[in-house]
Amino acid sequence: MAQKIARTFIGEIKSFPAWLWVLIALTVFGLGVGVYRLAAGLGTTTNLNHGYPWGLWIGFDLFVVAFSGGAFTLATLVYVFQMHEFHAATRPTVLTGLLGYVSVLLILVMDLGRWDRFYHFMIFPNINSALFEVSWCIMLYTTVLISEFSPVFFQRLGWQRVLGIIKKITVPLVIIGTTLSTLHQSSLGSLFIVMSERLHPLWYTPLIPFFFFVSSVAAGLAMIIGGATISYWVFKRSLPQKVVGSFGWFLPWVLGFYAIVKLGELLIVEEIGLLLTANIYSALFWSELLIGCAIPIVMFMSKTVRHNRVWTLIGAMFVLFGIFLNRFDAAWFALKPVPGFEYTPHWMEIAIQFGVLSAMAVVYTLIGRYFPLFEETMHNGDADKVQVVASAPAE
Amino acid sequence: MNQYGMLVDLTKCIGCRGCQVACKQWNDMPAELTRNRGTYQNPPRLTSKTLTNIEFREVELKDKLAWVFVKRQCMHCEHPGCVAACTVGALQKRAEGPVVYDENRCIGCRYCMYACPFGVPTFEWDQTFALIKKCELCIDRVDAGMKPACAKTCPAGAIQFGDREELLLVAHERVYAKNSPYIKHIYGEEEIGGTSWLYLSSVPFEQIGFPTLPKETPVYLNDKVLHATPTIALGMALALSGVYWMVKRRNVIREYLAAENHEK
Repeated sequence: MAQKIARTFIGEIKSFPAWLWVLIALTVFGLGVGVYRLAAGLGTTTNLNHGYPWGLWIGFDLFVVAFSGGAFTLATLVYVFQMHEFHAATRPTVLTGLLGYVSVLLILVMDLGRWDRFYHFMIFPNINSALFEVSWCIMLYTTVLISEFSPVFFQRLGWQRVLGIIKKITVPLVIIGTTLSTLHQSSLGSLFIVMSERLHPLWYTPLIPFFFFVSSVAAGLAMIIGGATISYWVFKRSLPQKVVGSFGWFLPWVLGFYAIVKLGELLIVEEIGLLLTANIYSALFWSELLIGCAIPIVMFMSKTVRHNRVWTLIGAMFVLFGIFLNRFDAAWFALKPVPGFEYTPHWMEIAIQFGVLSAMAVVYTLIGRYFPLFEETMHNGDADKVQVVASAPAE
Repeated sequence: MNQYGMLVDLTKCIGCRGCQVACKQWNDMPAELTRNRGTYQNPPRLTSKTLTNIEFREVELKDKLAWVFVKRQCMHCEHPGCVAACTVGALQKRAEGPVVYDENRCIGCRYCMYACPFGVPTFEWDQTFALIKKCELCIDRVDAGMKPACAKTCPAGAIQFGDREELLLVAHERVYAKNSPYIKHIYGEEEIGGTSWLYLSSVPFEQIGFPTLPKETPVYLNDKVLHATPTIALGMALALSGVYWMVKRRNVIREYLAAENHEK
């Protein structure tokens, strides 16, 4: 018996494709460096310094949270607006969101000077602190995401009763999840309100929480598109392009609204002139607007783009790049430099960041291989009777 | 309640750095290994082992080169950004003025370093379990009825400890006296909502490394935004529930109408 299990296990491992092994190697390496970081301290393992107390990790945290906004965006569309045509995308998207949040939590612990006290935000509250609100919401929302995703495991185990209970509370769970997301997506922006003397005026605005929230919806939609397209290639299962493309239909509205309010705000506070001065800041801001907003707006207005898998993915990548840049601008590039200090990430920072992201990709792949991630293709955990309903149509 | 204040008269400072040494002694902080950088200023800046530091600034005063010695330390803001920012409430503003720090709470997130417009809080980059360090206005001494160590030690009388309101009166008197050598600006009176530390200078403050700051503090806006959290949460939850109910109702009506049409 034991031998048989071992043989199946080895057989499975042997069937892993090469890219999965690369991801596993990156994970193991990142884990090793991470342990060293926890033992050696931030000074020796990062290039963070007095002028840049935050760096690559916080930039990624801000971006990954926005990226994971796909989970609440889709859950709201499917369960609150009851657009059931999107239903088949929920499980993969919720899993991507969940893994995104787990990666953020892991990196946040890495980033703490006293990582052994990570739980202090639960026992020492400061209701005026944006980071306090962010910590609570991220913890609670991760719990919600775990609950939303748990049916995948219960289905595999065949626990019908638990499955029934979760199904009954799905709608309230989604409403709580979206409320928590609204709060922490925006309060990641509120982080910067107190930094009026550090953040460049092109980014500093009392509206920054609002901008963080709206852009997280755009990033979320782009994430859903990216996820659906990649799982089409990796797992050969996905949504029909018609459905994937219709996520793209929302993007010009969201991005257009975002860009108009953003430019309007600069106009009203008479800072629009900053956009016309030639320096690194205006260049960064224009890149965000052109690559992250203008180009994808034009692209997704076209039906030809929305009906084409590759073009839809390229459009989504533009959106994600724009929001990636926006979050890194706020956390790093657009912060007023402190004389005498410079920052470029240490290789260990990069190794830990990519180790964590690789770990999440490995978990995603393994769940995709062994659990009913695409629920329409499996029923009641009976993996043998695969019913291909939502499989990718042959093109 | 009256608040403590500190008045620094930069024209009186002789650059002896006695305050730096007294601060290290009282707070039990080690010396730092530094390199000769061609200046008497040493250590180069505030660190987790140097909570106050004298900067040796070279400026032109009446066409002559002059040294201005600038004492740096936590300004103890009236509305401290660091206190608003601190995730775990390790930084607190005491009613008597000092911004104090509880190292048993701190998680080392370094948000305070960004929230401070003066770049004051420092981090123990050389420690595995690293914390924030900053001047606490010698709160332990003050509580025991003593002056802060730097004010106590200053041989030139450049650092005065007292009631902030009274010190402001003293400062105004000096600045607006006849033949006053001072510029007409008391740094700290209004900067970013006011600070406990007040500075008098004969050289414009922006020439000696003081940040030019607005009168308004972003802390009010920060608190307002964060206090809106419960309202936003409730509003969002209600709106979503409303949408859910309406869409569901619409679908029921649609099905009913479809069935009715079918019957016809």
